[in-house]
Amino acid sequence: MKNVVQVKNLTKEYKTIRAIDDLSFEVKEGEILGLLGPNGSGKSTTINCILSLLNFSKGSIQVFGKEMQPNAYDIKEKIGVVFQEVAVFDELTVIENIDYFCGLYVKDKALRNQYVEDAIQLVGLEDFKKFYPKQLSGGLLRRLNIACGVAHKPKLIILDEPTVAVDPQSRNNILDGIKTLRNQGATIIYTTHYMEEVEILCDRVIILDKGKIIASGTTDELKSLAKLEEKVTVEVLDLEEKYMREISAFKNVEDVSYCDGVLCITYTKGKNNLVELMDYLKKERISYNKIFSERPTLNDVFLELTGKELRD
Amino acid sequence: MFFHNFKYSLKTLFRNKMLIFWTFAFPIILGTLFNMAFQDIEKGEQLDIIDIAVVDNELFHDPSCVLFRETLDTLSDENSETQLFQIQYVTEEEASELLSKKKITGYLVFHEITTPQVVIYQNGINETVFQSAIEEIIETNQIFQNVASQKMQEFAENPEGVSGDYNSWYQEIYRGIVEKLENQNIQIRDTSSSNLSYTMIEYYTLIAMTCLYGGILGMTSINQCLANMSQNGKRISVSPLSKGKLVLSSALASYITQLVGLLLLFLYTIFAIHVDYGTNLPLIVLLSLVGSLAGLSLGIFVASIFKTNENAKVGVMISFTMLGCVLAGMMGITLKYVVDKNVPILNKINPVNMITDGFYALYYYDTLDRYFFNVISLCIFTILLIGISAFCLRRQKYDSI
Repeated sequence: MKNVVQVKNLTKEYKTIRAIDDLSFEVKEGEILGLLGPNGSGKSTTINCILSLLNFSKGSIQVFGKEMQPNAYDIKEKIGVVFQEVAVFDELTVIENIDYFCGLYVKDKALRNQYVEDAIQLVGLEDFKKFYPKQLSGGLLRRLNIACGVAHKPKLIILDEPTVAVDPQSRNNILDGIKTLRNQGATIIYTTHYMEEVEILCDRVIILDKGKIIASGTTDELKSLAKLEEKVTVEVLDLEEKYMREISAFKNVEDVSYCDGVLCITYTKGKNNLVELMDYLKKERISYNKIFSERPTLNDVFLELTGKELRD
Repeated sequence: MFFHNFKYSLKTLFRNKMLIFWTFAFPIILGTLFNMAFQDIEKGEQLDIIDIAVVDNELFHDPSCVLFRETLDTLSDENSETQLFQIQYVTEEEASELLSKKKITGYLVFHEITTPQVVIYQNGINETVFQSAIEEIIETNQIFQNVASQKMQEFAENPEGVSGDYNSWYQEIYRGIVEKLENQNIQIRDTSSSNLSYTMIEYYTLIAMTCLYGGILGMTSINQCLANMSQNGKRISVSPLSKGKLVLSSALASYITQLVGLLLLFLYTIFAIHVDYGTNLPLIVLLSLVGSLAGLSLGIFVASIFKTNENAKVGVMISFTMLGCVLAGMMGITLKYVVDKNVPILNKINPVNMITDGFYALYYYDTLDRYFFNVISLCIFTILLIGISAFCLRRQKYDSI
């Protein structure tokens, strides 16, 4: 597969802060690449550099095989961007906003009308065409923001945290829309600090921290970086210390903690950990309310690699 | 894409309530307030025709009193809109009787040639006006007398000096009189625009203010195009529309909107509050077009060089414009004169004053030199600001956004 975006040794400094530190990665045609990292990790700065909005100190950026420049209009017409902040005109209706931004790319009026209708359908704003942005809820506004960025059917779509402060219904709608865009052949760069979204959407993930790539790969590859394999949580009242010690002695157990009636056991690897634990609880006649097992998340990977949570 | 951006820029400007208020409604509201306030002031300050008498004795008909007779005839011309006096020519006894019955404000009597006596019954505005007018005539007459006598004496002493060239001799007398009049601080003004009132300066500054307020439209439009100024600017900047087309189409939309606002103001002031702008309509339109362009360039300039949010920029624009209006005489013409006298450079670079002064020149001067000086000054102001703005806007990438 061809590289749609290729970033080499990108470095960006703001006076005393190095926002991006020797960053190199590429985005393959047709994939959804997730840029995951906490606030301030350099995700948006990377995007702005790719789009040639920001100067950078070092490195090179190629998009569709060409050096990205502010006046590279042939490249720009193939790119669609959805920024973190909603960027629409308050004075224009939903349909006018989409038509305006689409019109910056598509001259043909009939084709544009079709594209605008498609975009409205994609984000589910059919019932709000004549609404002004101020009349829309936060979630609907985000959907409009996305429609404005992708209406012209770009080959490369860059979505910078498009689901921040969005209700669950709109979030699902947005994520479904992004999958649809990928199915239609678009290459997508998706930045977020919501690991669940990355797990659902992305073919490949780059985890950023302090402007550096700390890990990259598919979600499964990343999870394998974490020492833990399974986490079992049990709601149990009054657990005696001796049971804790006995559980700690189980094979593959990495850590056992008990706090506020919740017993938490992490395993490094292995199978049948849950069955073994349930058998033990039954044998010792320890009653419990709930018991469930979790696979490691990208947050656990991030915690493992940086010692802090993704949402810190 | 130029037309596409132009069309939507027009839509966003016309639907922006805040902008519409400042550029369309506010000048009309201000014009209405001016009309309400100054109409009464002007009525209050209009002088009634003053009844006076002149003692028609032998001395009054002396050739040396010709200036008095001519001036009084002019000031009492019933066909003139500037008639000041209603004069009765009577004997001194009749004049005294008329005064005692308060049928006249006062009377003028010549007991000596060229030094008439003003007789009044009491003090008041009409009496003061009567006295002042006569004193003015006496002073002017004295100047004529002095210069003429001096020249006559020179001629008597050296008749060959004029060599029979009476024209140059008359011209010399004339120059002497003008010089003396100037020294007496008497100004000769062209009052041919009969309807001109000093409150017109308020309307001129109102038009100037509207021209410059149009800059808010330009500023808003340009802000929407810049990646470092707005979110929309970021989105537009990553589109394949070139910055040149973007800025030009947005600026053109702002200019058109601004002209609509100006047209509304003209229509309102002409038809609703009956302001008479005179007969030089093409020149008024030209000055308004150039003034609006200056306003637009100011807006683009503020948008380009100030790295702050849009509300702060609107504040800068409004403050600058209002200050310019005040210095140009919106809150009273006295300040314009004070600035002209003490800090003339301030009004030379004040675009509001350039516009106001251009209108002012159309009415007060027969020649268009001063008018075109202001038009050219505005053009230079516009080119300068556009040049600086273009220099700032040429940047395509930013250090931070």
